[in-house]
Amino acid sequence: MIVAERKPLDEILNMLAPCKRVLALGCGGCVSVCLTGGEKQAAELAVQLRLAARRKKLDLAVEVDCITRQCDREFLTNLKQDPRTFDAVLSLACGCGVGFLSEQYPDVPVLPAMNTTFYGSNTAPGVWEEYCRGCGDCVLAWTAGICPVAKCSKSLLNGICGGTKDGKCEVNPDMECGWSRIYDRLAELGRLDEMRKLRPPRDYRKDRGGGVRRLVLASMTADDQTQEAKE
Amino acid sequence: MMHDGELTSGGLAAMGGAAGLMQRQWAPCRYHCPVHADVRAYIELIARGQYRSAVDVIRANLPFACVCGRICHHPCEANCRRNDVDEPVAIRELKRFVAELQGAAGSTVRKAPVQDKARVAVVGAGPAGLAAALDLARMGYRPVAFEKFPVAGGIPATAVPKYRLPRDVLRHDVEWILSHGIELRTGVEIGADQTIDGLLAEGFAAVIVATGLPKSRALNVPGMDHRRVLGAMEFLTAAAMDRPMDVGRDVLVIGGGNVAMDAARTALRLGGGRVRAMCLENEQEMPAWAWERREAEEEGVGFIRRRGPAEVLLRGGEIVGVKARKVTRVFDEAGRFAPLYDDADVIEPDCDTVVLAIGQQADMGFARGSGLAADDRGRLVYDPATHETSVPGVFACGEIVTAPGSVVEACAHGQRAAAAVDMYLRGVPVRIDDELPPAIGTISQEVGGKVTKVARAVIAARPAAERAGCFAEIDLTMSEAEALRESRRCMSCGGGAEVIVDKCAACLTCLRVCPFGIPVVTDVARISSDLCQACGMCIADCPAHAIVARSWSAEDLKAATDAALGRLPAGEGARRVVAFVCGHHAPANAWRGSLDDAVGGVAELYLPSMARLSTEQVLHAFEAGADGVVVVACRLGADRYPHATERVRKRVTAVNEMLAEAGLGPDRVQLTETASQGRAAMREAIAAAADRIAAL
Repeated sequence: MIVAERKPLDEILNMLAPCKRVLALGCGGCVSVCLTGGEKQAAELAVQLRLAARRKKLDLAVEVDCITRQCDREFLTNLKQDPRTFDAVLSLACGCGVGFLSEQYPDVPVLPAMNTTFYGSNTAPGVWEEYCRGCGDCVLAWTAGICPVAKCSKSLLNGICGGTKDGKCEVNPDMECGWSRIYDRLAELGRLDEMRKLRPPRDYRKDRGGGVRRLVLASMTADDQTQEAKE
Repeated sequence: MMHDGELTSGGLAAMGGAAGLMQRQWAPCRYHCPVHADVRAYIELIARGQYRSAVDVIRANLPFACVCGRICHHPCEANCRRNDVDEPVAIRELKRFVAELQGAAGSTVRKAPVQDKARVAVVGAGPAGLAAALDLARMGYRPVAFEKFPVAGGIPATAVPKYRLPRDVLRHDVEWILSHGIELRTGVEIGADQTIDGLLAEGFAAVIVATGLPKSRALNVPGMDHRRVLGAMEFLTAAAMDRPMDVGRDVLVIGGGNVAMDAARTALRLGGGRVRAMCLENEQEMPAWAWERREAEEEGVGFIRRRGPAEVLLRGGEIVGVKARKVTRVFDEAGRFAPLYDDADVIEPDCDTVVLAIGQQADMGFARGSGLAADDRGRLVYDPATHETSVPGVFACGEIVTAPGSVVEACAHGQRAAAAVDMYLRGVPVRIDDELPPAIGTISQEVGGKVTKVARAVIAARPAAERAGCFAEIDLTMSEAEALRESRRCMSCGGGAEVIVDKCAACLTCLRVCPFGIPVVTDVARISSDLCQACGMCIADCPAHAIVARSWSAEDLKAATDAALGRLPAGEGARRVVAFVCGHHAPANAWRGSLDDAVGGVAELYLPSMARLSTEQVLHAFEAGADGVVVVACRLGADRYPHATERVRKRVTAVNEMLAEAGLGPDRVQLTETASQGRAAMREAIAAAADRIAAL
């Protein structure tokens, strides 16, 4: 799931400088699961902002709400107040929520309380690590489930580089070399032949090379949208 | 497993908050209590030193709080889920502690604003009759209780020995009941001084017969009508009323039940001589409570078992003994009472007095001057569903119509009869809904094993040698310290976590922080109320506010924080510190906020456990104006719940980071782990922490 971390409070206060009344909006999706942007964290952020405002003698009122997700229009009906009555919405959602809400409420600044960082998995209670880069063309079938895009600092696709030292990456010595892991695992599974197979060049249009990506499921679109998608 | 119906945000809003959730499922103590007292609630109030509130909760359902605190057979304890962990909570002793501490004066009387409805006559001012009268008075009726004895209370007044139930204790209850607007007329025997027909003619709109089982069953054997063959009920009543009796120096009590034990132990106390009890049953079959038998034995009562009386032997006009046959069997294959004897095996134990404790029976005298019908066994005809007798407007409740039972069972029956009378007088069909919410199920061995074991309070008792000589109470009341400790053994069954399913993000936090491994996370978190210990750990840490407590609200602590800060002296330079203290080991005055050694500028707020204290509640203190917070946790392992101290350490670190970000730091929240080390150590630690905060 998407992992996001709270921005430093000072940075947020700077963003809120022109505001007097702000809505701290939590999200019940990924950021609740990684315990950084749920309703509780929105409430805590609100207290931090009020305390800081009091200290700095700022005129800042902060209210709190939370919806199931900020990346679907339907959940917006559950908002307790109209966001347009605020000077800004301080969203604790990932960038998807911030961006989407900005489009839904063009008349209100929707500000990010979070830095969205990575797609991650929960390796231990309280610990999430990056596992995926959303490259759009998954090769994990041939790399024993280890992602060369996410787990290699250089996102190399054709094997190990010359910088590996004792299984660690030259870019970040605390990081295991992704390709080293892939090689060892394939060897363990007796599937090193995967590395010898010649595969067609990667289509980077599936990644950022193709611009902003979208998924359209025709079975779910309204008829006029299906037509649009085809064009 | 659980009650049906998941909780959603909409559902919670519709019920106006989480408190209504307590009604969906009852703790087994409440479920099995015949009057369904909210046991969990009053035990918690005792644990917090709120004794008046506790006794008011008890008396909301149980008018005879003091009496039951002494003699109740406590089905609550038999079903207490703590039985599956170590030993049941000593609920009866706790009830006794708080009810007697408060007495009648310390129990709130909530009279009906106006008592202008019909007059109702209650025949018999015992537990059933007075319970009915109380409910009628509360509903605005004008009950008049008629009692043939000079004192109200029924069997507790006339037949329960004083060493079990001191009469001043009974008077607390009777006084409290009557002060709700019930007229009591003692020394009036219905069926003699007045009749039921007369009462109805006089203007009583209804009559409730609650005359109980005041007489002893007789034994049809030769010699039975000698003056020194006494019925146990009459014997006990005479002892209770301090009336002289013709009792010799060698008493043989016939019977194996509790009344027989009462009679034997009373005979012993009346002075001089030998007392033995003879019964049909062997030791395992004897119906008397095990502790009654044991105490009787300790006091010197002898036992002759497996013998049935055949004849009272007389010589020279005096009793010299009883001819007793061997009993070969008491119960038949179906478990019914059907004794068989061996007439060839006969003994003749000596005695000069015989007390018959072989059963109780009604005194049907009340029926004289009434149209009341009896069945072919001489029992009053009545409808168990509606309490109606054969005469319109005349109802019956208590042992006069049920099997012999306890005081609390009589109260429940009387309350039911009052409801029936109310429906009758309002002209609606008498239909009483006896349905109960389901009870919380058994706790699993796995979870039970993780609950911190705490030994049950041992009630001090007078030594046997001291007891046998007088009617002073045998068991002593718990001390306050014991009561606090014992009430804090309660597992708050049914009072714990409830997941709001539409808010849950399945983040697994509750599963990870629960000290007992209870949450199961499938689509959303599912927390079984059969297992939850109500520690509050998951509620405090849930990122989505998706878990609520059934028996408390997170808002309560915020409101208490605001109030406590409001009471601290204000002004320039005044110190304003809030201390959140684990109250698991704290005395009642600390909980009530009436400490006389509070640290200046520090408001102490007590919680049952640090497990409950969330980062938000600490932050709220600052928003409410505190300069600092002291978190007073217990030493590792000493909290009411496992791992609470470890968890609160992490929360304190997190809050300090959040405060530092906001420019309040460092270490505005100070942690000390002295809550389990006594007031002196804790106070010193709070003072030192407050000083450190002041220096910031």
